[in-house]
Amino acid sequence: MSIVLIGLNHKTAPIEVRERLAFTDDACAAGLRALVDGEVVREGLIVSTCNRVEVLTTAGNGREQEAAARVGSFLCESRSLPRESFTEYLYTHRDEAAVRHVFRVASSLDSMVVGEPQVLGQVRHAYTLAVDAGTAGRVLHRLVHHAFRVAKRVRTETGIASSAVSISFTAVELGRKIFGSLKGATVLVVGAGEMAELATKHLTSAGATHILVANRTERAARELAQRFGGEAVDYERLSSHLGAADIVICSTGAGEYIITPEMATRALEERRNRPAFFIDISVPRNVDPAVGELDNLFVFDVDDLEAVVASNVREREREAERAELIVESEVMQFQQVLRDLDLGPTVGALREKLHAIARDEMKRQRQRLGDLTPEQEQAVEALLLSTVNKISHPIINRLRRSYDTGEEDNVKAWRDIFQLEE
Amino acid sequence: MKPFLYAALAGYLVAAIHTILAFVNKRRAVERVSVLALAFGFATHTAAIAADWITDGHYPLFHLHETISFLAWTLVIAYGLAVYRYRAQQALGVFTLPLVTGLVLLSHVMRGTAVGAPPERVLSGDAAWLFPVHTTLLFFAYASFFVAFAASVMYLWQERELKLKTFSAIFHRLPSLTTVDDIGTTAAGAGFTLLSLGIVTGIAWSSSRTGRAWHNDPIEIFALLTWVLYLALIHYRAQWRGRKAAWLGVAGFGLVLCTFLGAILMGGYHVFG
Repeated sequence: MSIVLIGLNHKTAPIEVRERLAFTDDACAAGLRALVDGEVVREGLIVSTCNRVEVLTTAGNGREQEAAARVGSFLCESRSLPRESFTEYLYTHRDEAAVRHVFRVASSLDSMVVGEPQVLGQVRHAYTLAVDAGTAGRVLHRLVHHAFRVAKRVRTETGIASSAVSISFTAVELGRKIFGSLKGATVLVVGAGEMAELATKHLTSAGATHILVANRTERAARELAQRFGGEAVDYERLSSHLGAADIVICSTGAGEYIITPEMATRALEERRNRPAFFIDISVPRNVDPAVGELDNLFVFDVDDLEAVVASNVREREREAERAELIVESEVMQFQQVLRDLDLGPTVGALREKLHAIARDEMKRQRQRLGDLTPEQEQAVEALLLSTVNKISHPIINRLRRSYDTGEEDNVKAWRDIFQLEE
Repeated sequence: MKPFLYAALAGYLVAAIHTILAFVNKRRAVERVSVLALAFGFATHTAAIAADWITDGHYPLFHLHETISFLAWTLVIAYGLAVYRYRAQQALGVFTLPLVTGLVLLSHVMRGTAVGAPPERVLSGDAAWLFPVHTTLLFFAYASFFVAFAASVMYLWQERELKLKTFSAIFHRLPSLTTVDDIGTTAAGAGFTLLSLGIVTGIAWSSSRTGRAWHNDPIEIFALLTWVLYLALIHYRAQWRGRKAAWLGVAGFGLVLCTFLGAILMGGYHVFG
């Protein structure tokens, strides 16, 4: 039995290819039933997201090539695509490499944005589909559950997902760092650009409740305000609203500073020096840098935010290295699990057989021994069983070694010698 | 009582180590151990102080080792209240718990250097009961000021990094600016109230015993300075909010240290055993 994974992702294939190959839930279930025949392809699971399409299968002994070919033609047929259109983007991983790949995907180490949390849910969903379709068997069950465990370990033991890696989330995080909670915070949006809207969206979902919008064209201001249940305020009288705002987002196309230190000082007085956070995502800048030198005012322009993002990304990459170590050790562990899964029955049968022989012999000779004390009885039994164990021990070791080095014939030979059922 | 103090020391040590671990690794599970160990340490510490009171026959806040142990005890209470109110256990704990552990250890080491009853002047007079009230109030004031100091340091650290826009690993582990500002203000307010009451009871005690309210000894002068500084801090709170207030919190604690050490080192009217 071996594990075969075939697929493509955002690193190997352009979006045009990925979208044509993507599976809907229904197509996924139907496809799995068609693909898995219990003979060549024993188990199957399809992970299909906007960034990847991967088919994870287990193949019968020595039939990996066949299984891989079958998955290839399955993709052609089920997606009605010519083979040439995507084969160059495909990667194939086998056994240990496939296990590693699954663990890395689930832990979000293979994602476009390392550490993003959605992919685990997508893998979970793919697994549910496979379970419902009845194509997840004993190996995939263990593999996927192990992958969930690895993902959890990575999440809790490394800081891979602990910091924001987009400008708007970084703004929210900095806001939290200044105000603690953003619940009930007042946000003044100056300019009605797309970036401002995105940042406002994140701020409201973090708890900000009062949204004020000031824009040169009042209609745009009113529209944006409506979307967030806020109110439009007069752009010309901006400074009179500044004092009310905990967070100010600027993104106008104005060519000069629209928030000056004088305005900020007045706002601070009005706020009785409560801190305020200026997010200036306009280029050229809208907030005079001198504003940031005032106590209790914190100004971040696009470059500042991007620098924070970059440092967070570096932090994630550092953490990803630690995560790779975790994945590596879990891959080793899973090899052990797989071996036990494969070899376990053989080893058990061998032990059982030898013990049965010992017990039979004991039964036959027991009468000749006459009366024994319980201690003597135990001693005789111990003698028999430990002899059997000492003889079988090197055989089992040899079996494991043969299995690990892939000498299937050797394993089969031992099975034949002891007439063990598979 | 020795066994109790040993147990308290062990509890505090475990709590301190686990708080630091929780702070470094951002682990919740470790935090629980810290809380339980701290509760155990506090219970045994309280028992140790009570046992001392019973066996020695005087309020256990006179000899130096007693003062140190009592100070640690008030710090734990102040820390507990701050954590209960603001849930900033890891960051505050990193400041407080190692100090508490160190103080208890020090108290343990110094035990036996001073024995016997406190001098007559403390125990005599109609208003003798005021003396322990005076000292207790002041110790709780010191503990509050320590919390205010810790909050101020956290404030200044974060404010600096926010202004410079470069963030260290510690930055992400500290509570928000507003939270530490709140902790600082509340703790300074509580400390100021306790300090005022402590000074008033001290004056009342002293004047009822000798007729003199003021002795011009270093500790009194420092205490008065501290009182004025915190009064200013509270009065100008709105104007000085943020960085200035935080610096005052640090400076105020410096004066508190002078007051406390002054009592030990400079002698004068206020002499501890």
